[in-house]
Amino acid sequence: MIKVRGLNKEFIQGQERTHVLKGVDLTVEEGEFVAVMGPSGSGKSTLLQLLGGLDIPTEGDIVINQNKLSIMSEKERTIFRRKYIGFIFQNYQLLPTLTVEENIAFPLHADGSLTKEKNQTILKLLDSVGLKDFGQKRVNLLSGGQQQRVAIARALVNSPSVLLADEPTGNLDRNRAEEILGLISRFNREKNQTIIMVTHDIFAAGFADRIILFKDGVIDQEASRKDEDYAKYLANFMA
Amino acid sequence: MSVKYGILTLLYRQKNHGYELKLELESLLGIKGKINPGQIYTTLDRLIRDQFVLAAGTDDQDRKFYEITTEGKKELEIWLLEPVPYHSAKDDFHFKWSCSRTIGFEQEQKMLDQQKAMIMKDVMDLTKLKTEILLQGDESKYLLINGSLLRLEADLNWIHQVENRNRS
Ligand SMILES: Nc1ncnc2c1ncn2[C@@H]1O[C@H](COP(=O)(O)OP(=O)(O)O)[C@@H](O)[C@H]1O
Ligand SMILES: [Mg+2]
Repeated sequence: MIKVRGLNKEFIQGQERTHVLKGVDLTVEEGEFVAVMGPSGSGKSTLLQLLGGLDIPTEGDIVINQNKLSIMSEKERTIFRRKYIGFIFQNYQLLPTLTVEENIAFPLHADGSLTKEKNQTILKLLDSVGLKDFGQKRVNLLSGGQQQRVAIARALVNSPSVLLADEPTGNLDRNRAEEILGLISRFNREKNQTIIMVTHDIFAAGFADRIILFKDGVIDQEASRKDEDYAKYLANFMA
Repeated sequence: MSVKYGILTLLYRQKNHGYELKLELESLLGIKGKINPGQIYTTLDRLIRDQFVLAAGTDDQDRKFYEITTEGKKELEIWLLEPVPYHSAKDDFHFKWSCSRTIGFEQEQKMLDQQKAMIMKDVMDLTKLKTEILLQGDESKYLLINGSLLRLEADLNWIHQVENRNRS
């Protein structure tokens, strides 16, 4: 479970102060798939960075799986991140001259060498993202959609309990985007992975169980999908 | 489009007679206008029966005046605050919002907030439906749902624009 309380973030550059997050309260249950929408500049990426321990808040608390981020040292945060968090970015952030397998394995090198078991994990992941025969290819030879699938596999290689995705389909056309979202929501269902996905695209947000609208650094509105309502919906649509 | 709530909106502002109501209602409906007078009078009769409107005397040309009651005002406000689901055949959010503007509704922001939440719910339900339909291989339904999603996206952007202009 993720608990965010009174989260504030201010960037200070010389004389200039930008107050980006202005008191965010948020609880995300284990296995929940949450989409965060909102105008650009409203602080969505900043929120993800803080949730992933890549940056620290000016004020407020983040607790993920009973770990309180604000009392951790930088080193502890790095360890925490490797253990619990997977990141997916809009621009994939792969190492272009390495192969698909090497990219996926990258987070694993950080905490030890590759074992046989870990190699198995990589092969399985490759299969599940539909890139079984691409393991030895260099990633800069792949299409955008394929690169994003590599990035998803990389984010999942440590079996993180929390997946943070920042505009994961922002660079993809609608069909590719839909495939990627299908993949993400499948991992959410099958592995009970908690997902927080930032997107400005309603087509992407629709895959979530809950949509949060961000405005000026606070949560403006939110809505959840409920199965009972969906049944009514279906009846209405089929009528 | 609801003649009932259109009339309540106009009477909320001031009492009026039937013919004036017809003209103003057409203007409220904009390009979707053109209402037959019979529709106005049967609706007024029903509103009087339900005690949302009172017949309030006549003017010097012997034309009947109509006036909204407290109950009628309440009825209108409740309707204004009901978000509109995308598949609603009887309501249209743009019309509802025009009514709220016409009476200077002080809860407009709440109305917009609830509509945003409704849009997001619709988006999630439609997307779920879409993925199920895709599994069944129904291409035309799939495309129709994408059309609805595009409309919802436009609706959400429009509400953001209203909010931005309200703020500045
Ligand atoms: N490292 C930083 N230093 C200074 N300002 C920043 C930094 N990161 C983000 N910002 C500012 O914070 C605001 C919110 O940015 P961001 O979280 O990226 O918004 P969003 O993802 O919703 O578009 C922007 O005005 C941006 O310029
Ligand atoms: Mg961003």
